[in-house]
Amino acid sequence: MADAPPEATAPDAALDGLEQTPHTGEDVAADGTLSEPSADDFGHAEQAPSDPEWFKRAVFYEVLVRAFNDSNGDGTGDLRGLADKLDYIQWLGVDCLWLPPFYASPLRDGGYDISDFRAVLPEFGTVEDFVHLLEEAHRRGIRVITDLVLNHTSDAHPWFQASRQDPEGPYGDFYVWSDTGTEYSDARIIFVDTETSNWTYDPVRGQFFWHRFFSHQPDLNFENPAVREAMLDVLRFWLDLGIDGFRLDAVPYLFEEEGTSSENLPRTHEYLKEVRATIDREFPGRVLLAEANQWPSDVVEYFGDPEVGGDECHMAFHFPLMPRIFMAVRRESRFPVSEILAQTPPIPAGTQWGIFLRNHDELTLEMVTDDERDYMYREYARDPRMKANIGIRRRLAPLLENDRNQLELFTALLLSLPGSPVLYYGDEIGMGDNIWLGDRDAVRTPMQWSPDRNAGFSRSDPGRVYLPPIMDPTYGYEAVNVEAQMGNSASLLSWTRRMIEVRKQHLAFAEGDFVDLGGSNPSVLAYQRVWTRPDGERDVVLCVNNLSRFPQPVELELGEHEGCTPVELTGSVRFPRVGELPYLLTLPGHGFYWFQLVELGDEGERRSML
Amino acid sequence: MSQPVTQHDVDQVAAALPGWLPSQRWFGGKDREVTTVRPLAWTVVEDGDPTLVHLVVEVGQDDRTEPYQLLLGRRSDGLPDVPAAAAIGVEDGPVWYEASGDADLTGVLLDHVAAGDVVGDLRFEPEPGAELVTGLRAHPITSEQSNTSLVYGGQYILKLFRRLTPGTNKDLVLHRALREVGSAHVAEPLGAISGVLGDDEVTFAMLQRFLPDAADGWVMATTSVRDYMADDAGLPPGDLGGDFSGEAYRLGRAVADVHADLARALGTETAASDDLARTVGAMERRLDRVAAVVPALREHADGIRAAFQSVADVELRQPLQPVHGDLHLGQVLRTVAGWLVLDFEGEPAASLAERSALRSPLRDVAGMLRSFDYAAHQLLVGQPHDADRRERADAWAVHNRTAFCDGYAKAAGHDPRDEAVLLRGFELDKAVYEVGYEHANRPDWTDVPLGSIARILTEEA
Repeated sequence: MADAPPEATAPDAALDGLEQTPHTGEDVAADGTLSEPSADDFGHAEQAPSDPEWFKRAVFYEVLVRAFNDSNGDGTGDLRGLADKLDYIQWLGVDCLWLPPFYASPLRDGGYDISDFRAVLPEFGTVEDFVHLLEEAHRRGIRVITDLVLNHTSDAHPWFQASRQDPEGPYGDFYVWSDTGTEYSDARIIFVDTETSNWTYDPVRGQFFWHRFFSHQPDLNFENPAVREAMLDVLRFWLDLGIDGFRLDAVPYLFEEEGTSSENLPRTHEYLKEVRATIDREFPGRVLLAEANQWPSDVVEYFGDPEVGGDECHMAFHFPLMPRIFMAVRRESRFPVSEILAQTPPIPAGTQWGIFLRNHDELTLEMVTDDERDYMYREYARDPRMKANIGIRRRLAPLLENDRNQLELFTALLLSLPGSPVLYYGDEIGMGDNIWLGDRDAVRTPMQWSPDRNAGFSRSDPGRVYLPPIMDPTYGYEAVNVEAQMGNSASLLSWTRRMIEVRKQHLAFAEGDFVDLGGSNPSVLAYQRVWTRPDGERDVVLCVNNLSRFPQPVELELGEHEGCTPVELTGSVRFPRVGELPYLLTLPGHGFYWFQLVELGDEGERRSML
Repeated sequence: MSQPVTQHDVDQVAAALPGWLPSQRWFGGKDREVTTVRPLAWTVVEDGDPTLVHLVVEVGQDDRTEPYQLLLGRRSDGLPDVPAAAAIGVEDGPVWYEASGDADLTGVLLDHVAAGDVVGDLRFEPEPGAELVTGLRAHPITSEQSNTSLVYGGQYILKLFRRLTPGTNKDLVLHRALREVGSAHVAEPLGAISGVLGDDEVTFAMLQRFLPDAADGWVMATTSVRDYMADDAGLPPGDLGGDFSGEAYRLGRAVADVHADLARALGTETAASDDLARTVGAMERRLDRVAAVVPALREHADGIRAAFQSVADVELRQPLQPVHGDLHLGQVLRTVAGWLVLDFEGEPAASLAERSALRSPLRDVAGMLRSFDYAAHQLLVGQPHDADRRERADAWAVHNRTAFCDGYAKAAGHDPRDEAVLLRGFELDKAVYEVGYEHANRPDWTDVPLGSIARILTEEA
């Protein structure tokens, strides 16, 4: 074994700004093992109330720590700042926050290049600050999940530094090394714009290392049992602190195998089962959410065995649904949505889809055909600057030309289609984007809290703010902000909050079976969510959406509910009783209805309970 | 309580039918007075209260006689909750009514099909392998023209052929053939009701899978036209949100697939040398007939005749085969699994011989192209002339007709536009038929086919 490496090449040398903070590789044992922070070094947050299936009913809210609220006036949002805004998040009705990575990172891939799994990016705060956030969130009944990248680390991670310097040491096999860089040639290159190979030569070690993403993100070697255990320990670290779950980034790529695409391999699923079993055993009630941008028929594999209700991830994102919602409304035709849901297989009993309209990435168009992609570009990205990779970098409101009717229709669809809805911060007030900013920053500008300086986001000098807040006359913070909309019961924010509340009153939205009602008018998307309560009573919610900008009639086949009365859910207005003939409704342009189908007695009394 | 049904009852109903039939939408003989109605056969399908009787009558209109079928209901407590027009007033005795709207009576038809029952002269048969759910209630769909269809519990559709044609119905024959070769573009046939008519077999009804998620092609296309015509910026049809060309392309593929499947299942035939001459002769006779009653057609008659004449000289590239025969956007359904083609009976006004003859598949292509023209121009009907809007409508039609032909060519391996002379002739023939039909039934709409004729004649073949 070599002597301890000299100071300049200490494994933690590439970690920036963590000198005063506990971090990985602070100390190196005689055998080369790096010290790692332990959860016992920090306080632990009280847990949220026990409820093993909370995620099936939760409304999620994705918030970028950097963009939400700056507590220390340095121009960048931080964990303390986010904690200070939990009252707002609770008021809105959010059940769970999803935070993209806030770990130590050189930030060459938006924080998905993690250089220490056990330290917080200094500008966001510390592990103690995160525990404070958890504590405050749980006190309000709000859960918190965050992204975790299992597949790879930043090349600045002390594990990689140790691995490249000491091939014989404890980290020598933590990454996938090769003398030739010719293996696994059937694996596609994901970032075709920047990478020419999945292998990059490392002059320090004199070998090639494997990476499915950027060349500064070496893939961890999951063949190595020590890696598998080390990553389980990373999960344990945060779970011990009290976190409620993880969105697992880039899950299809954990293992490689010659002669395959090295995606979705059986051993990747085996490892996910091991991760899940560990969670169920040691931290019941915490969840795993898979990020696998694939067709639903492939994604369902990540839920695991349906016989046992699912034994891999509890949740997975439904990627193809989102672009089809946009397409359906532009075409005034329900078929893009009806088709993808008809192609979506059933999922195990203990699992749930996550659905979204927008998130921190561009509007992803990987899961559409080439024709459809051209169409989406033409319709929603007239300016070439609106395009990014394979997608569109815009926020919801500008995508919909700030049309309040469409914003409401889209939100109603998000809250009523099958899956747990994920809202993207700022979309609840109709924030705009800034397509002049690079990469995906167009949709990552500061949250607009008030008409005050820096949109109320930060006390700093405006020049210090990490990105300028939106200032145009339509979407700028003087016109669009939380303060103004909270005070106005007709605002988009108040409306969104009310709809979330209505959704939560009916578990059929969360857990009901989805039944597409079709119908002769292709511009109307009508479906039922049918949930059988534990007492055997059925809760049937009927959602009728006019995808056209023109008023539409629709005749719905509701024969099985003959005698029921549709009660509109926002105002409790009773509509005419369902008879034997098709049920006629008329909808205004982009209008929608949510009904509960109720059996009323002769005196109009409810026979079934809400 | 219920009385047995007697020949006297049936005669009484038949006597009332001459006044009643013309008010029924499905009755195909509205052009002439009904002079006689003679009962040919009747079967009590459901004895009791209410009672269901299946009745076949021969309707005489001067020298023309045609058989029709009716479902008659009778209740001791008068009319059920069905449209008033259904009541058939007889001179004395109980009230009879057209029973297709009476869900208490129609359920039994499905149950008999499922059980494979024989009731009197009526044979109810499930298709081989069909497993049917019974006990469902039915309601009639309202959009139908010449037949009556009942939807059972959103699962099945039973089409009653109103005007009867001897032999197994072409619709049933073609559906069975397409199922045999595994076509993905038809609704699965599940059963039939048949019997005899004089010396011939006759199909009374066909049961098929019903697709509650479907929307018909006419509604889909006019949704796009609505979006397009309301656009203030004057963008071309391909640049608008409601662009239909993707659907039109897929529809073209589906139609080509159906043609290929029909040829595979039922065979093809090379046209005989005099087939073309006979076809042109029929087209010319139709032109003469329509021009005689529609003066506005006369200015185009020479041009049309010249176009027909050039058809006589073409060399047919594709063999003749069974075709749909009355293909238009209202005969196709968009489902979540793609396009389906419905109603293979052929043109309602055509004779049986014409309908069952092998024909060029280009007939169907021409029919669909005409339908795109109709969809594009339907918003202009009854509006003051507006050259700009008309030009926009033309642009929509061209855009989607092109997409349809592209799709057809892709799937068929040959492009219908390569047979331009023939296609043009068929389109003109169809448009002439439409002029005659609209003139008689919807005079406001006559401008649509007339406009198309003018446009086709100014285009080079």
